[in-house]
Amino acid sequence: MPNSTTISVPAQLERRMDDAIAHYPREHRRSAAMPLLHLWQEHFGFVSGEASVWIAEKLGLQPINILELVTFYPMFRQHPAGKTHIRVCRTLSCAMAGGLELMENLCTALGIQRPTDGEEMHHPIAVSADGNYSVEFVECLASCHTAPVCMVGEELHEKVNPESAAELLGNRESEAGNQQLQWPPHPIERRLVYKNIGRPSWTTDIDCYLREGGYEQLKQALTLSRDEIVNKVKNSGLRGRGGAGFSCGLKWSFIRPDEKRPVYLICNADESEPGTFKDRYIIHEDPHQLLEGMFISCYALNANTAYIYIRGEFPEGAKILERAIEEARQHNFLGKNILGSGFDVEIYVHRGAGAYICGEETGLIESLEGKRGYPRIKPPYFPAVLGLYMCPTIVNNVETLCNIKHIVAIGGAEYARLGRPNNTGTRVLCVSGDVQRPGYFEIEVGALTMGQLIYQMAGGLRPGRKLKAVIPGGSSAKVLRADERFKLKERQADGSTIEREISIDDIPMDFDSLAAAGSMAGSGGVIVLDDSRDMVWALNNINKFYAHESCGQCTPCREGSLWMQKITDRMLRGGGVVEDPETLKTIGDNIAGRTICAFGEACAWPTQSFVGKFPEEFAGRAHKPLPPPLPPEYTPEELIDKESIPTVPMAHDPGWEKAGAKGTI
Amino acid sequence: MPNEPAVQMFNVQIDGVWHRFPKGTRVIEACEQVGVFVPRYCYHKMLSSPGNCRMCLIEMGFPRLGPDRKPELGTDGKPIINWMPRPQICCAQDVAEGIAVRTDSPLVKECQRGVMEFLLINHPLDCPICDQAGECRLQEFSVDYGTSQSRFLENKVKKPKAVQVGPRVTLDDERCILCSRCIRFCQEIAHDDVLGFVDRGSHTVLTAHPGKSLDNNYSLNTVDICPVGALTSTDFRFKMRVWFLKETKSICTSCATGCNTVIGTREDVIYRQTPRENDDVNSCWMCDYGRLNYKYLEAEDRLLEPRIRSDGKLVPADWPTAIGQAALHLKQFAASEIAIVASGRMTNEELWLTAQLASSLGVKCIDIVPRRGRGDKILLSKDRNPNTNGVRLILGSRSAPGAKLMAIADAVRSGEIKALVILKENAMHLGLSVEELARLPALIVMNILRNAATEKASVVLPACGFAEKRGSMVNGKGRLQRLNRATRPPGNARDDWEILRDLLQGIDGGDSLHSIEDVFRRIRETVPQFAGLSLSKIGDLGVHILKIEELPATHPSDEEAIEQAIAVQAARRSVRSDLDRAYANPAESITRQAEAQTAPRR
Repeated sequence: MPNSTTISVPAQLERRMDDAIAHYPREHRRSAAMPLLHLWQEHFGFVSGEASVWIAEKLGLQPINILELVTFYPMFRQHPAGKTHIRVCRTLSCAMAGGLELMENLCTALGIQRPTDGEEMHHPIAVSADGNYSVEFVECLASCHTAPVCMVGEELHEKVNPESAAELLGNRESEAGNQQLQWPPHPIERRLVYKNIGRPSWTTDIDCYLREGGYEQLKQALTLSRDEIVNKVKNSGLRGRGGAGFSCGLKWSFIRPDEKRPVYLICNADESEPGTFKDRYIIHEDPHQLLEGMFISCYALNANTAYIYIRGEFPEGAKILERAIEEARQHNFLGKNILGSGFDVEIYVHRGAGAYICGEETGLIESLEGKRGYPRIKPPYFPAVLGLYMCPTIVNNVETLCNIKHIVAIGGAEYARLGRPNNTGTRVLCVSGDVQRPGYFEIEVGALTMGQLIYQMAGGLRPGRKLKAVIPGGSSAKVLRADERFKLKERQADGSTIEREISIDDIPMDFDSLAAAGSMAGSGGVIVLDDSRDMVWALNNINKFYAHESCGQCTPCREGSLWMQKITDRMLRGGGVVEDPETLKTIGDNIAGRTICAFGEACAWPTQSFVGKFPEEFAGRAHKPLPPPLPPEYTPEELIDKESIPTVPMAHDPGWEKAGAKGTI
Repeated sequence: MPNEPAVQMFNVQIDGVWHRFPKGTRVIEACEQVGVFVPRYCYHKMLSSPGNCRMCLIEMGFPRLGPDRKPELGTDGKPIINWMPRPQICCAQDVAEGIAVRTDSPLVKECQRGVMEFLLINHPLDCPICDQAGECRLQEFSVDYGTSQSRFLENKVKKPKAVQVGPRVTLDDERCILCSRCIRFCQEIAHDDVLGFVDRGSHTVLTAHPGKSLDNNYSLNTVDICPVGALTSTDFRFKMRVWFLKETKSICTSCATGCNTVIGTREDVIYRQTPRENDDVNSCWMCDYGRLNYKYLEAEDRLLEPRIRSDGKLVPADWPTAIGQAALHLKQFAASEIAIVASGRMTNEELWLTAQLASSLGVKCIDIVPRRGRGDKILLSKDRNPNTNGVRLILGSRSAPGAKLMAIADAVRSGEIKALVILKENAMHLGLSVEELARLPALIVMNILRNAATEKASVVLPACGFAEKRGSMVNGKGRLQRLNRATRPPGNARDDWEILRDLLQGIDGGDSLHSIEDVFRRIRETVPQFAGLSLSKIGDLGVHILKIEELPATHPSDEEAIEQAIAVQAARRSVRSDLDRAYANPAESITRQAEAQTAPRR
């Protein structure tokens, strides 16, 4: 096929590429760029310069279009990795559990020198001398409750003991598949979506799902009109489980019933908010529930094509979903005229490649179109109006789509009785960090408090430790301080509201209460920090995540996220100046609300809240005076150890002498 | 205008004052139209709006609606505004009924300060050695909207410097603010998707794919629209500080499009040409070939002195002598023995004087040298003569310009023509050899550069290039536009129209024309399309005087003759000197420049 390169692509690989290309409309072949890059890397081990040229030619693009992707998505590598590539999570929950030591020990065992901070951006992968192993720090692998985790090849390894890191390298088979089953559910749980997660006899195949009454709701939905389903969803009060908590029914109602353009449904399975791992288990253990939810949603939205955008770090999950789709096809839940309803639907799995920003719906759409995951401006690009391929598009989270099945099962009104008004249904909370039994818990929204969650369900803190702070909704949520008092309005039976002052333990775990407490329910990822934690260190870890994940499209987030990281880096190295806390806070202020997408808030809120709520810790690391003005390109390495900076004597400069300047500045 | 369909008008409040704008106006443009400038980096009105720089954040609000869904009115009878809590970008928002904006509120100023600070933290403070200084938006907005102190104590991000991203464009990635204007220009205007961003976040870098280069014929426009010093012109770089440049509005004369330009000069030296916005002609762009096609004006081969042939040799003469000699030559011959070859690069005024010259001599044998190249669908016209339409209108020949050229050449060869007047062209373009030219009893040449033909002339009259004179031309779409003088001609060279006027007077002693305006006035009297116009009325943006359908269709036999003339030129090209070639076919010269600066790609 493409022939301007000398590389020879095996016919079988090219056939698989052609299959991937067929997943997208003919005029949007560009969408296949990422699938082709994945296939290329699987086969050749890395994406060479020639690959960009070859793939561009294959898709009728320019090589730069492909290079833009290769360098945007960290999972694509331009240089070979070791035969076994190990990806170690460096994000908060794992770092707290020893992820950084794990990497250190791995490097020692392998004799690998990791790149310095400055090099890491361009050469994140370090390969052992014999070429057998390579290591790489990656951001959150969405298994925070089993921290520290790493991926050896495509296998996730959980609760890895940093001290025995070397064992990872030997008998890999024995280590594989050590996923932690969490069964039975805690008595306070209300399992709906997670009914079968962790169940010992439960498998991912369709027969198991059908035995338990699977796809009954799809059959039921196909007897209903589209309006009826949309109304059920509206009545259910379901709010999106991805992070923003937007009303699902309202979102769906933006699609006009008389829409002439194709409508697309996209399942956002790019779960990557640090602290969150709920979608991982649905995808890996109950794929048919998700598919059923999607089929019903497609029918309700009149969408004949749907995509599951799954994060690249879930290779196994992608395979499970693809297998489930094939099974569903054999049962005619998918394909032409499903179950004789006259409705056609196709679902394709589209793998991401390590970009958190693709969890933002418009960034996801851009990524799905084969571009860098740059979020779009709204207005005008509201997905429901101008979404995928400029067609109306609904993007829903995995858990949200699963809930659709249950809404059809029990009815919208009945569903709305679960949880609290405006905070209906159940949701899966993910607890990680400094608790004794981290894990996932499905609860009726607001049915229990933060205290119950931490102390009853998650086993409380380790002996002798006290609660210091909680990040209640994924790392972008504002941190709550343990000794804070929160003023929450409470609606009385007679309709009046009273204000109640409560402690952190008494905050109900629902959207509105957490918002009233000054944070958010977000994606349901609760990260607990005990009194052994250094908040500057914790913020620095979060800053690193956002600086690494900022797409770089718009100014405040691109420049601010890295700046904040550099400041906390310096504070940790002992070079904090008195102005740093204030500078950090104002950087956050200058980002939040001024960016294209919500990533601005996501990266600003941690900084604003950590600095605001733990002023004593930040002040404690910011005691040096502001250094004198530096020559523009001066590199202030010396700031770290010394109180003053020697500079080049300027006395020879007549201008300075005249002005009465001393010899140094 | 009564006949046009009514455009919906919206009421828009800008900084407390209500205005009306037609539907479809961008808010940022609406503000500008009423004198409220909103700073911006990524937004360019000819390109799509990515909204990425966040410099145009303003406060925006909509009328508060009452229970009846109608706007509630305040005591002033105007709608009460509900302000959105967050600042909004105004570069991607069209005006809507009742929309209100605040561009100078404390929040807006805080946003602007914040964005300026972010843009500068990783930007090298190398203004003293940066070519953009003086026309750098980062510098300007830093003063207008930023702060004088930096709070940044960290190491700046390091990126590639002085990258030859194309044969004519140099890139400094550390200065780049990632506004993506250049990428969008290449995609949307030049249709050459060659630039892109690689890496992520603050480490993002603008680049072309290895082995590809920003070498399209519009590459220098990216330099114009780059708001900072990231993309600079390799040609102009470090030559002159922009604040020293005198700017003269003119037009490009390298093809029939007639792109509007600004010529930047200092002390009679041209340093650069940049496009000047004219939506009826060239939008905001011009091609590299036209832009760089001025260097011949400073060539060493410039003709600097009038020369006459004396004892078989060309010797310098003063102007009255040279003109007198030329007139003397022409008066010797019968009208049928004289031919005039003018140029499609001459202005209307020069062409009119040429027509007068022909009629006072009774000469019928007059034509121009046709000049064609490959056109693109963007700006470059396949007619590389800037004033072919002026020739049609003013020389008023029945055949298409260029169609008679080969017949003239044949007549020279056969000896029928004894005196040949060559105005602003190389006589060898006719396919005549040096020997054939040398045999002519009289060869009067008015030109800019020396070439083999000028050396065989009886009289050589050194004239002006396009940047050294005033005048008007009619572009390929029938738009009358003005040239202005940016530099004085070198040596003793003179303005073309004056030379022609003096020659005309030398022949018929005719009436006096004191200024170029006088000449234009005479054109106006004889050419109906010019009626009611004057050089000043043409204005900076020109006036449409011809509809396409008014342009006479070229007869097939004319077309054949023109093709033949062009084929003859092409055959001659291989024997001409380099400089001669540069003038005769600048398209080729720019390609050669480009080739010289890039590795062989074919």
